[in-house]
Amino acid sequence: MHFLELLVELLLMPILAFVIGLAMVLMMRRIGARIQRRVGPPVLQPIYDIIKLYSKDTQISHGLMHEIGIIMAVGGYIAAETLLPVPGLDGLADKGGAVTLAYMLMIPALGMALGVGQCANPNGSIGISRALTAMLAYDIPFILVIFGASYVYGTTNLAEMISIQQQQGVSSWGIVQMPLLALTALLILPAIMGKHPFEIYVAPAEIATGPMVEMSGKFMGGLFVMQCFQLYTAGVIFTTLFLGGGVYWITFLPKIFLVVAIPMSVAYLFPRYRTEDVLRLMWKWPMLLGLIGLAVVMK
Amino acid sequence: MTALDTLLLISAITVGVALLAGNWRVGGWLVTILYALQGAALLMMSGLGYSTLTVVQSSFSIEVLSEQLLWRFDALSWFFALITIGAGLFSSWFASGEWGERYRDNGGSLRLFHGALALNVFTMLVLLASGDLLTLFIGWELVSWASFLIMALAGGKAFGYAMRYISYAFAGAMALLGGLLLIYAEVGSFDFQSLKEAAPQMQASTLWLLVVLLTSGFGVKMAILPFHLWQAKAYAQTPGPGAAFLGAISSRMGLFAFIVVVVQLIGISRLVEMEIPFTFLDAQDLLAWIAVFTIIIPTYIALRQHDARRLLAWHGVGQTGYMLLGIVIANDLGSAGGLMHVFNYASYQAMLFMVVVAVIHRTGTSDLNKLGGLFTRMPLSYLAMLIGIIGLAGLPPMNGFVSKWLIYRSLIVDGSPLLFLGAVIGTLGTILSVYKLIHNIFLGQLRVEHVAVREAPLSMVIPMMALAVIVFVTGYFPGLVLDWTSAVQASIGIPVLAHHLGGVSMKGGLDMIWIVSVLLIGFGFGTLVFFLGGRSRRVHQLDNYAGGHFLTAETRYHYSDNFYPGLMHLIGPWYRNSFEWLERGVISAVDTLSTAMQGLYRNAHPSYLLLAAVVFALSWVIV
Repeated sequence: MHFLELLVELLLMPILAFVIGLAMVLMMRRIGARIQRRVGPPVLQPIYDIIKLYSKDTQISHGLMHEIGIIMAVGGYIAAETLLPVPGLDGLADKGGAVTLAYMLMIPALGMALGVGQCANPNGSIGISRALTAMLAYDIPFILVIFGASYVYGTTNLAEMISIQQQQGVSSWGIVQMPLLALTALLILPAIMGKHPFEIYVAPAEIATGPMVEMSGKFMGGLFVMQCFQLYTAGVIFTTLFLGGGVYWITFLPKIFLVVAIPMSVAYLFPRYRTEDVLRLMWKWPMLLGLIGLAVVMK
Repeated sequence: MTALDTLLLISAITVGVALLAGNWRVGGWLVTILYALQGAALLMMSGLGYSTLTVVQSSFSIEVLSEQLLWRFDALSWFFALITIGAGLFSSWFASGEWGERYRDNGGSLRLFHGALALNVFTMLVLLASGDLLTLFIGWELVSWASFLIMALAGGKAFGYAMRYISYAFAGAMALLGGLLLIYAEVGSFDFQSLKEAAPQMQASTLWLLVVLLTSGFGVKMAILPFHLWQAKAYAQTPGPGAAFLGAISSRMGLFAFIVVVVQLIGISRLVEMEIPFTFLDAQDLLAWIAVFTIIIPTYIALRQHDARRLLAWHGVGQTGYMLLGIVIANDLGSAGGLMHVFNYASYQAMLFMVVVAVIHRTGTSDLNKLGGLFTRMPLSYLAMLIGIIGLAGLPPMNGFVSKWLIYRSLIVDGSPLLFLGAVIGTLGTILSVYKLIHNIFLGQLRVEHVAVREAPLSMVIPMMALAVIVFVTGYFPGLVLDWTSAVQASIGIPVLAHHLGGVSMKGGLDMIWIVSVLLIGFGFGTLVFFLGGRSRRVHQLDNYAGGHFLTAETRYHYSDNFYPGLMHLIGPWYRNSFEWLERGVISAVDTLSTAMQGLYRNAHPSYLLLAAVVFALSWVIV
């Protein structure tokens, strides 16, 4: 491939991810609003929010690491998006693969954790303790899913997984080949995205008791951008592993929006789980399903 | 005189100089220069690390009982020697400045410290150079005693832990001796080559006994389950830079011997043939599972520690599991990962220990509940610890990621989901634990008594930074280390990993040059996005908000103790100290037995002895 072409791809991938992520945030809010019988925000609301946050007068920084933490959170996702193949853009998919991606996605989390730690607010630290515990909860079933998919497709290269599913039709899609693993992934999706009913570690409703307690202005804005990437990444990974990815955006976009919409629609109906219950739940049902799913695909 | 002779000679001179001049003001620097010379002597043999040389003999040899005792270096020895000398160099450097002065002022003997450290390096080189099973055993014993020496230096509690180590080491050495005698009985020689030729014809039962004896012997040094209890406490109590050295490389000698005897001479393919009756498992699976439990259990023990040195030392035990796992899997990816992890792990573990020792040097404590907020006071130490924990946790862009990636990938290729799951559970536990480490020391609120703390002295910061550069550069260009591991793979007869400077060339491979570059560029864009926003105002750290209550300087609160209550709520009851319990059981059993033997042997119970003798004699006559 031409070097320049690759460079353009690498630039384009995070930008697309961000724009689609914004739309997903909007969708998520609209779904929440509909369930709660509200009208919901206007179309451009996520953009207004970001502009508002970035241009606030009061921007409180608690030190260098606080700032670097936010930079790591956003920058880590920007880098991770280049490993995630989408229609027409393979980026660095052949240089990393699924395992690398899974670990790249921990960099933003680490950045945020370090930034919050620097704020010296015990409530922030408690939030991080919960967030890391939740990560331990959902990553174990997630890794089963990654393993199962790599085993079924015989590769860890995400672009190859897509082309295998594209060439052999719907019957070769992950969701047909490994329905139990797909279900596992669906169950842990809200936790990966930090949404209901597993959002105690983000604690968006009671700002003062979560990791966001000391985040104002563009710090909050950075986390907002990170959330856009987070939703997009979750949707694309699931689509790539189980729904055949996409050759054209026209077929690809509905898939990823659907993937994000399902857990959102269900999630708002549930109350929130405590941290230890998140662990208990994640290590019971998704884990069990994942193991059975693995046993089925590996026979 | 061959290059190996030169190396061993310089190493022996280092011991002498350390014992002679260790207490001088320049003594430490002198020893450090000698380590650098050892490194130079090692570089004279660098052909070993690039497969252009196969073996370097020593001209020294002895004949015992018609057995020729040989010392020689091959690619494997060279690779381990490189790490050993590097760890010695940086630890000694670290110890030579203010740390040494403080140590001497507190009544420690620098002469003994440097002597013990140099002796460790020397004995390890002798072990690495062993050319047959007998010299291997000699080197093994020398290393055990040298480690004991440095562990026991601090006296008091440390001496107790060192005694515990030496008891374990004795048991291990006995198992090893048993194994070697068994080999001699079967093969009739201590020669490596004859064992290699005889191994395929050995009976399964003999081989089982052999593998169990040898793995237990080597496993004690590696601290694999169930012999893991001695290590963490003993290492944590070793004087600062000594702990960095031991943590980095000492217990890897067990792995070295394991690779030489079990992987190279007996062969993993032989282990696969050894099935465990009534199960689906064979000896290779058994070892892999031991490795996985060695990853998981010590890592989660580390998560509960609140002393920084113990936390790191327990992670050291856990990381051994990854190396063993990779090597036991023994395909090109796995063994490269296991070997590379030895190097990577040594680089960041030494650095992390150094940071913790620097923190102790400045604040007087390594208790994670009595520190906090030091980032603003010791930024360079913080940077070193950050790079170290990213490496230890195995995240990109540091070198720890590459070796762990290779191991994960080998497990995917091997089709072992449960082993893979175990390895990942260990990594996740490590992430939790290292975040706690950095958070409790460097982030959060600065304590009142630490307001005046300064950055560690240059003599400490420079070795830390040098190691940080190694951790980052070998993560950026893993091919540098993979060249050496490939030479090792070729020399021990394992498929060689196809690699390039950036990583692994295969379908679904890895190219760290791209990954790290894109990550750095991502951070660049992240910075850009950040500075697009309005100007931020830096406030005092304690100017923050807590749910209606403003935290003030009077009510300091650093969230540190029981850092993961949610997790501990669930898994807390799973910690049962079963192995401690087992150890106590074994100790009391041995105690009882020895008391009984003593009673029988030394005390006057003539009637019992007579009775026993009569019964024995009668039974002998009748039967």
